[in-house]
Amino acid sequence: MAGRISRNIKTKEADFIILFTTLTLVSFGIVMVFSSSLWIAEAGRGDSFFHLRRQAIWALLGLAGMFFFSNYDYRKLKRWVNVALLASLFLLLAVFIPGVGVEINAARRWIGVGGLTGQPSDLARVALLLFAAAYLSRKDIRMNKFLEGPFPVLAVLGLFFILILLQPDLGTALAMAATIMIIIFAAGIPLYQLGLIAALSLPASLYLMVSEPYRLRRMMSFLDPWADPLNTGYQIIQSLYALGPGGLFGVGLGRGRQKLFFLPEPHSDFIFAVIGEELGFIGTSSVLLLYLLLLWRGFKVALMAPDSFGSLLATGITAMIGVQALINIGVVTGSIPVTGINLPLISAGGSSLFFTLSSIGILLNISKYSR
Amino acid sequence: MKRNTVASTTVRRRLIFLFGCAVLAVFALTLRLFWIQVVIAGDLRAKAWDQLMRRERVIAPRGDIFDRSGRLLAGSASSVSVLAYPAQITDKEEAARLLAPILALDEAVLLERLSRRTGGVYLRRKISEEAALEIRKLELAGIRFTLEPKRYYPHNNLASQLIGFMGLDDGRSGLEYKYEQELRGRDGLITFESDGLGRQIPQGVQNYTPPLDGNDLFLTIDRNIQFIVEQEMERTMLELQPKGINVIALDPRSGEVLAIAGTPSFNPNNFADYPEKNWRLSPITDTFEPGSTFKLVTLAAAIEEGQFRANEGFYCAGSTVVAGRIIGCWTRSRGGHGAIDFTEVVLGSCNPGFITLGQRITAPKLLQYIEAFGFGQRSGIDAIGEGVGILFTPEQLGPVEAATTTFGQGISVTPLQQVMAVAAMANGGYLMRPYVVREIRDSQGAIVRKNEPQVVRRVVSGETAREVTRIMELVVTEGSGINAFIEGYRLAGKTGTAQKIGADGRYIAGEYILSFIGFAPAEDPQVLIYIAVDAPQVGVQWGSLVAAPMFKQMMERILAYLDIPPAGNTENVPPKMVNVPDLVGLTVDEASALLDTAGLRIRFIGSGGEILNQTPKAGAKVPLHTQILIHLGGAGTQSEVLVPALTGKTMREAGEILGWLGLRMNGSGSGMAVSQDPEPQSLVPKDTIINVKFVTPGEREEER
Repeated sequence: MAGRISRNIKTKEADFIILFTTLTLVSFGIVMVFSSSLWIAEAGRGDSFFHLRRQAIWALLGLAGMFFFSNYDYRKLKRWVNVALLASLFLLLAVFIPGVGVEINAARRWIGVGGLTGQPSDLARVALLLFAAAYLSRKDIRMNKFLEGPFPVLAVLGLFFILILLQPDLGTALAMAATIMIIIFAAGIPLYQLGLIAALSLPASLYLMVSEPYRLRRMMSFLDPWADPLNTGYQIIQSLYALGPGGLFGVGLGRGRQKLFFLPEPHSDFIFAVIGEELGFIGTSSVLLLYLLLLWRGFKVALMAPDSFGSLLATGITAMIGVQALINIGVVTGSIPVTGINLPLISAGGSSLFFTLSSIGILLNISKYSR
Repeated sequence: MKRNTVASTTVRRRLIFLFGCAVLAVFALTLRLFWIQVVIAGDLRAKAWDQLMRRERVIAPRGDIFDRSGRLLAGSASSVSVLAYPAQITDKEEAARLLAPILALDEAVLLERLSRRTGGVYLRRKISEEAALEIRKLELAGIRFTLEPKRYYPHNNLASQLIGFMGLDDGRSGLEYKYEQELRGRDGLITFESDGLGRQIPQGVQNYTPPLDGNDLFLTIDRNIQFIVEQEMERTMLELQPKGINVIALDPRSGEVLAIAGTPSFNPNNFADYPEKNWRLSPITDTFEPGSTFKLVTLAAAIEEGQFRANEGFYCAGSTVVAGRIIGCWTRSRGGHGAIDFTEVVLGSCNPGFITLGQRITAPKLLQYIEAFGFGQRSGIDAIGEGVGILFTPEQLGPVEAATTTFGQGISVTPLQQVMAVAAMANGGYLMRPYVVREIRDSQGAIVRKNEPQVVRRVVSGETAREVTRIMELVVTEGSGINAFIEGYRLAGKTGTAQKIGADGRYIAGEYILSFIGFAPAEDPQVLIYIAVDAPQVGVQWGSLVAAPMFKQMMERILAYLDIPPAGNTENVPPKMVNVPDLVGLTVDEASALLDTAGLRIRFIGSGGEILNQTPKAGAKVPLHTQILIHLGGAGTQSEVLVPALTGKTMREAGEILGWLGLRMNGSGSGMAVSQDPEPQSLVPKDTIINVKFVTPGEREEER
């Protein structure tokens, strides 16, 4: 098998810690999705197992994807970059087509094919980071030239960003932007260019915050959620009401109360609060530790990658998971403004779980070529 | 080919820097979690628990109010309240728009309630069945109904001022207010864990404290007596259109109030439709100048002090001079009562006579008696808002004040004080504490509290009380109380006519409070009734003509209801014969007074200020209590007259009536009048011939 992939680089076993951490987080996620969704699924759909079943199916699909990509030479992915970008663009536009796009809670984030719905933004994130890694690892561009180096990546990012923002899904758009910025940073562009990008995006960010008055209020509510406990502060307060009673050891798996219509989205965006309530500080810090382990191994793969493409790709995948996890936990603990984003590998997420696991498959594949 | 070229030093450094950032972020979040989950966890746990636990009040069934025989006067029924569970309502604007007109609430107000982030919120409490049905038909999600108790009063206005009424949750007036703590019981509490939509969590913690039912009140009031009293009051309100009437019926032996009411009253089922002044129990709250009924107090004091000798002579010249001031008798215009004895002083309600009695008792002693009889202080009745009244202080009580006090002028009392004082004369001299609640029982029927008759003090001796009763009996048989006389019973009573005092402290011309107080049977008093009619707008202004007949009506029905047998011996006493005085040309007031003192009853026919005729004629000897028909006319009615209704009259009666009116009769047949031409109420010139057909009851059958 190894001989087939490359002649001049000898392959190793895939990184065991990444595999182990991933499988642990996914299995743990299935348990927590069941625990947190049981009541609302029973009340809303008359089927307590609805989200459990869904999560299990997506996890199986995701693991299949992971297995596939861990055995698929990552360097061949370069060939698919343009196809993936175009497909992403097409799907991002398709959500706005009535009949194809599915509207839930006044947001058009999903497309449905038969009984299956997926978020195009999940594919778009991966496609974009693939593109960024592929483009920035090209030998014929000079990173110190802005227009040659980061600009094309920023242009595509900008396009996707706006399309995702229109759904609207600010959280995903921001997490995606952060991931791409990390790739650009890791690619070694001069720091002054980073400053330039920041300066350019500042007016746009300000505009985004001020254009919808509720956004600013909601953003700042995490500083004092009790100032408006029934509206802007509601989600954070409910989250704290889950974490606090959890204490050190938690109230016990399945015995949380806050998932019973107090927490918004207890099985996705706020699943970490349920973990905190049922498994306590021991549970939450363990989860954080697992993510840290995953990040450590991810960066290690990036450092040890045999080529620039592999290195940037590993950086991007690790950053994607890390950014999402840290933002999610930051929101749930009331440490940063509320943005709707789920906890990778754990939250009930459907297509996002599939793409995250597939990405980890790529990461595992890169790890096989570590020096 | 160069190996290991990937990670240039810059890239390596940047990747390590990024990992360092990640480590820092994880470390910071761990600290944050430690802070939330360990350091401030207790505080958050308490707040979360507070949010989780719902406390729902279990409303204790309110106690009922019954009359003395256990007949329901105030009870509780269920009514519907509307709740909303905002989380379950998707289209709040639409829901608010649909509900606003049915609930008679502002759409914006409703929308605000529907948008609250709480489990459930009341939209409107205690709505009508129809409104509830309309809302049910809308089939809105998240709208629920709960049953809540609503007070109802099955007899509407009956005893409403005593019983009072309820607001949404508690008694606001009357006994409902006074006995709120007894009636309301103690609400129970259900605490249970709920989810974010306010629904109970099946396996959650729950706790139930059962409610303690309210206690029932059993009043001293007898529903039927109350009904009789209010019916008679209503009748008088319609006939004479007074400003108001106060009545108290009481058992003088115990101080138990049997009936109490003031008109105009209100319906507690919709109390808000009535002016607030109708809500108060005026017989105990209001004070007024008592007038002649107060003379009984002077009389009792004089007897007790040995200053009253029934047969002692007295001359009433129509007025007397006290400390340089002329004080008139009500008979002043016709020269006073003349030479009478002290019994007649009472029967004729002679002011100079009473002034003399008061002077004999001496002012300070008189005041002592007045206070001993309970005036100038609260009686201690267990109802709210009792008035006190005003007496002269010992310093104020000069000779003139003492003189007017003897016949009840210049002081103010409540009807209840007057009742309790006379009750003391009826029961052998004991001032009782009046009460309206007899028993308080718990929901199981066990007696929680019982009010027993309570003697406040002994005021006069049994002998004195019996003597006062004897003279009061004479008032009814041959004095001003003649219109209260009930065939077969021994009654004791006293009339009163007091001029009303306006806001400026001066008497209001032409406005009187006409009263009567009396009890029966005189030999064993069981029922005492006090009636005060405030300023009738129709008819004459004498207590003997307004309040006394009312008393007769009420007492007659109450005695029959209580099954109190007549005192058989009175029937055998041959009636006393009296001379009929000449009334033609007198004013109505003068004639009324004259007949009062003569012990005759009056019936007026027609209207006007002038007496045109009377029957029987002056000088005829008739039995005491005979009714004298007085035909009235006036200057304006000289040329044209209204044809009276003659149906049922004998030929002689019909002829007399037509004669007074200046009409002539052309009768045919014999027996009772069955038809007439012209019809009653038609306006005809004087001297018109009225054709009247008489038929004997037997003949009518044959005619057909």
